[in-house]
Amino acid sequence: MAYFQRHKGIFPLLLLLPGLLWLIVFFAVPLYYQAKISLNTGSPFEGFRFAWHWSTYTDAIRTYHTQFIRSFIYAGASTGLSLLIGYPLAYAIAFRGGRWRNALLLAVILPFFVTYLVRTLAWETILDDSSPLVSFLQTLGIVGKNGHVLATTSAVIAGITYNFLPFMILPLYAALERIDPRMLEAGADLYGNRRSVFTRVTLPLSMPGVVAGVLLTFIPAAGDFVNAALLGSPKQTMIGNVIQSRYLEVNDYPTAAALSFMLMAIILVMVAIWAKIAGTESLMGAETA
Amino acid sequence: MSERNIDKLIDELVAAEINRRQLLRRGAAGAMSVSAAAFLAACGGGGNALSGGTKTAAEKTIPKGEVGTQLNFSNWPLYIDVDHGKHPTLEKFTKETGVHVKYTEEINDNNEFFGKVRQQLASGSSGGRDIIVMTDWMAGKMIRLGYIQKLDKSALPNVNANLVDNLKHIDFDPNRDFTVPWQSGQTGLIVRKDKVGDVTSVNEVFNPKWKGKVTLLTEMRDSVGLTMLGMGKDPTTGSVDDMMAAVNKMNDNVKNGQIRRFTGNDYLKDLPKGDTWIAYGWSGDAVQLQADNKNIEFIHPDEGFMLWTDNMMVPVGAPHAYTAEVFMNWIYQPQVEAPIEDYVNYVPPVKGTKEALLKIDPEVAKNPLIFPDAATLAKGHAFKTLSPADEDKLNNAFQALIGA
Repeated sequence: MAYFQRHKGIFPLLLLLPGLLWLIVFFAVPLYYQAKISLNTGSPFEGFRFAWHWSTYTDAIRTYHTQFIRSFIYAGASTGLSLLIGYPLAYAIAFRGGRWRNALLLAVILPFFVTYLVRTLAWETILDDSSPLVSFLQTLGIVGKNGHVLATTSAVIAGITYNFLPFMILPLYAALERIDPRMLEAGADLYGNRRSVFTRVTLPLSMPGVVAGVLLTFIPAAGDFVNAALLGSPKQTMIGNVIQSRYLEVNDYPTAAALSFMLMAIILVMVAIWAKIAGTESLMGAETA
Repeated sequence: MSERNIDKLIDELVAAEINRRQLLRRGAAGAMSVSAAAFLAACGGGGNALSGGTKTAAEKTIPKGEVGTQLNFSNWPLYIDVDHGKHPTLEKFTKETGVHVKYTEEINDNNEFFGKVRQQLASGSSGGRDIIVMTDWMAGKMIRLGYIQKLDKSALPNVNANLVDNLKHIDFDPNRDFTVPWQSGQTGLIVRKDKVGDVTSVNEVFNPKWKGKVTLLTEMRDSVGLTMLGMGKDPTTGSVDDMMAAVNKMNDNVKNGQIRRFTGNDYLKDLPKGDTWIAYGWSGDAVQLQADNKNIEFIHPDEGFMLWTDNMMVPVGAPHAYTAEVFMNWIYQPQVEAPIEDYVNYVPPVKGTKEALLKIDPEVAKNPLIFPDAATLAKGHAFKTLSPADEDKLNNAFQALIGA
């Protein structure tokens, strides 16, 4: 103990060690190898050689920019929808949930007890051509008489929204639940109507939840490939599908690695911009929630 | 020496229960040369060089040895008879020979499996596998790369006698020196008769009446081959330009919404549900679909259909190469093949299977999809073996077509 008392700086470092090791072994090292692979040239027949082959990146972006753009549009749309659906729900649970609060929260998390793949396959059944939902939409004229919902953009966005919705609701709930009711009372006492209390007190105080929710939904949604594969058609392919096929079908490891890096870089830039706009403080606040 | 090779060595030592004397004896018999070469290559750190030392190992035929106690067999899912979670055929083999078969259903896709084992095979290790089953074109590719051991024909008398005539010679392995067929299959149209009526042309998949109710296959050679036949080209002799033309035709039909998507055997659920009315599909699946739904039918299109074979092969570095030959030879008996056929419903490559099956399940034995007549078979086409450059070009175009 005397040692630690003399070297106070070392103790926190020791606490960090397991996490740090984990990061190095399972994150930094694989990342390094992926970076190296992305600069290789060759084919699975001749083998791959390291060659500072930067043109893999430019070729990849030229060939697959459509899928990149599509991924971000789908992820953006799903994040927006999740916010629209998730905010009122989180608000209701936090302020009106009463004794049902925990049960309702459990209901939000419950789908997670079933694997991701099975949940998405369930949507395949919900949206299949002869399902009650699709017949109903056909009667309303929203879907053409012989039209289908599966294998369309709507199906993919719906699937992504459904799958990532809890990632939006939980941080929103955490932020809303922390708001001191006396703040709202004070707002009302100061002649704020319900609307201005919401926009000037509740909403700003819940921003950390919004920021975290958007990040937690958008990032995995942009890299998703399961929804596009199961609920989409070739016209809905996302960048995740391309990476998967480059790795497993074509065995074109350099392109797959380059695409992964570009996806990561673009997301990092977007997160940085988002953090700048939304304020790092609220971001950090949300993380400690 | 990489961790993988240590694992492999441990596997070999434990699974095969090799003691030191056996190890030495096998070394003397020359069988060790393969794994010894791999061992040295692996220690040299050459993981990425794909050609090289293994090629010479592959050119040597498998020496005769003693039948081991274990055989590691990697196959596709649902590709052998199953009864209450067990495989009666494999148990019969164990009873007759004392060889325990470790059966792994780990092959779901030719390319995916290739990606998984490529590095191991390139360094001369089979990852403990003794038999793998690959479709024609992938078998050809692996042989070309020197990943496959040459079989000893004198150890395979049943195969020599009972292999059906139309499979005796094939362009990627003219004398069947490296491959023994496991099952053959036909790719044609599978349709919902109640929705599309009687159709006979492969071009029906492009009929606007079925817009959005059409699926094709993610297996490139099947989709490109059938589409080529519809365009009046022969996939066995056609040029790469003809193949690219077929890809372009499918691409137009993806763009306009005619083709709903490309599937593996997902059509197994899409056809009964009615999401798909007309699909490129495989005969063995059709047999099983028809049994459940009388409205589903497999069609041999007027323009022809695709024929393919999945082949058993012994990869380099296989720990029980001779035992693998014993197994292949044992399978090539009609009474052994019949129960497998009764379950998998593809086309058996073993002569006399029909007669053997008539005794145990006459209904299946009379199914023309499992035992097609000569007139039908004459309309079948094999997909040509592509040069690596052509394959790359076509594969890239096709992957872009199916959306990746």
